[in-house]
Amino acid sequence: MSPLEFVHVALDSLRTNRLRSALTMLGVIIGVAAVILLVALGQGTKNYVEEQFAGLGANILIVTPGKVETKGGPPIIGAAKHKLTLDDSRILEKKGYLFSGVAPVVFGAAEVRLASRSRNVTVLGVTKEFSDVRNIHVEVGNFVTDSDVEAKRRVCMLGRTVKRELFGNANALGQTVKISGARFRVMGVMERKGVSLGFDIDDIVFIPVRTAMDIFDTDALLEILLSVRNKNDIDSGKELARSLLFKNHNRHEDFTITNQAAMLSSLFTILDTLTYVLGGIAAISLLVGGIGIMNIMLVTVKERTNEIGIRKAVGARDRDILLQFLLESTTLSAAGGIGGMLLGTLGAGIIRIAVPKLPVAIPPWAIVLAFTFSVFVGIFFGVYPARKAAALHPIEALRYE
Amino acid sequence: MESAAASEPLLRLRKVSKIYEAGAQAVVGLTDVDLDIFPGDFLAVMGPSGSGKSTLMNILGCLDVPTSGAYEIKGGPVSSLSPEALASLRNREIGFIFQVFHLLPRYTAQRNVELPLLYAGVGREERSARALEALRAVGIEDRKDHLSNQLSGGQKQKVAIARALVNRPALLLADEPTGNLDSKSGGELLAILARLNAEGATIVLVTHDLSIARSAKKIVYIIDGRLVTSEKFREMRG
Repeated sequence: MSPLEFVHVALDSLRTNRLRSALTMLGVIIGVAAVILLVALGQGTKNYVEEQFAGLGANILIVTPGKVETKGGPPIIGAAKHKLTLDDSRILEKKGYLFSGVAPVVFGAAEVRLASRSRNVTVLGVTKEFSDVRNIHVEVGNFVTDSDVEAKRRVCMLGRTVKRELFGNANALGQTVKISGARFRVMGVMERKGVSLGFDIDDIVFIPVRTAMDIFDTDALLEILLSVRNKNDIDSGKELARSLLFKNHNRHEDFTITNQAAMLSSLFTILDTLTYVLGGIAAISLLVGGIGIMNIMLVTVKERTNEIGIRKAVGARDRDILLQFLLESTTLSAAGGIGGMLLGTLGAGIIRIAVPKLPVAIPPWAIVLAFTFSVFVGIFFGVYPARKAAALHPIEALRYE
Repeated sequence: MESAAASEPLLRLRKVSKIYEAGAQAVVGLTDVDLDIFPGDFLAVMGPSGSGKSTLMNILGCLDVPTSGAYEIKGGPVSSLSPEALASLRNREIGFIFQVFHLLPRYTAQRNVELPLLYAGVGREERSARALEALRAVGIEDRKDHLSNQLSGGQKQKVAIARALVNRPALLLADEPTGNLDSKSGGELLAILARLNAEGATIVLVTHDLSIARSAKKIVYIIDGRLVTSEKFREMRG
């Protein structure tokens, strides 16, 4: 009996029980669709996070004040006993031969006012290095210069959102706004950066770092950003910054250096694991679908005992019967697998339309794996009923009504 | 099979016994049966129900193997064969005709007849041609596309004969073939068997009905698992 004829016979008997076949298949369809959909969701989450961090630069080290023992995250703001100062920043700039940029940042919140319009925004005091290190540039006008910093000039660069809220479509360059009551000349408007992890980067006003220290009456830095010239020097750069600051802080390690890339990669590892776990949970439902197949195949074998007897009487060998039933269960699961693939892809498409922010994506391996697994489930759960069918004694089978 | 020498039996049974293990108790099905069946024979096996004629028929048909004794088909021993080899023998050498027809209900008459050819590995076109030929031989070619459960009993049994014939087996084995038929269809059926025998087919007919057994050329009697003479049979039947 040729393989094609086996398929023919299998399809024939599935067709005679359309509803039952469809319901059995549904178990596999749901399982495969669930695997594909959940993996797509996991992948989408990862893509989302990746997008949010894009442009942040993989070769950035962040120095924050205070020492935290737990690894990974930056310390809570204000927890520091010892401050980071411009002196630290200067040392890093002078002796940090591995760094292409050193950007001290002062953080503050202030009201920005233009005539009757005002807006509470985040104000960052920065130097000219900040633009390159954080990869944020002005769209029109100029960014902070060294002389702005030295002269403590009252100039500012507005983020897109701030500019729109205060000026609308009017030209902002050269205009004067009040920040915490002090008059600032608008020297530049930043390019659009969008929202990153719920934080609107376009809702920030940048001013020279020393000016910020005056306004907020502080000499403490929020952080110092270091861009490492060569990606491979991240670790040695971290060590270099540590020893320079250690010396500068009278041999106290009262600061923390975080590696952005390492943080991200550990986050991605978590997200990958999450994707696998979701896929694995969905695979359990596929397994349940397999049990459904086994159940129905056992019923089928029982119902068709007489048929099996007839086939054996006219010369079917045990292995012909085995293959016939195995092919039937495999056809069920493979058809279910294809249906599940379509349903899962459709579901992912719907999510993409319904939640455009979540870039769901179906990795090819998920489709291949889900389908292969569904076929495997059909074979695995089909073996027992098929063996039972093949092992029937022809006389007993013929006598069965 | 026509070419086989008349002295050489097609089937040969020597001291064939069959004992069934039914729980702890052993049930005797057949005891020391000696039987030769020659090419062209038309033999009726006669016996009341429970006499062991079904057991004999199952062994002749390679559906079962004897517990002891020797059984040969065309000189080849059968008793020690594997299930695979028995399946192959059933496929090539035996054609079954059952009392309850045993057709696949959702298959057409033609596909039912093609079934043995399917397991013999015959290609689609030849299968179709030979099935039609077999259906023609029993005069039911016009019903080839009917599903078997749409046929009358007589028609079903004709399809079953066509299926038994289609692989040109050495032996046709009919188990109460008229048992589920009215007398007209039954008569028609026996006529077909007689004609096939006249054309060279070897037939073993198992029945409990003497009037049907009489259509065979030769009758053997079986009681309590033993072959007996007709006188002894009549005596025991009272």
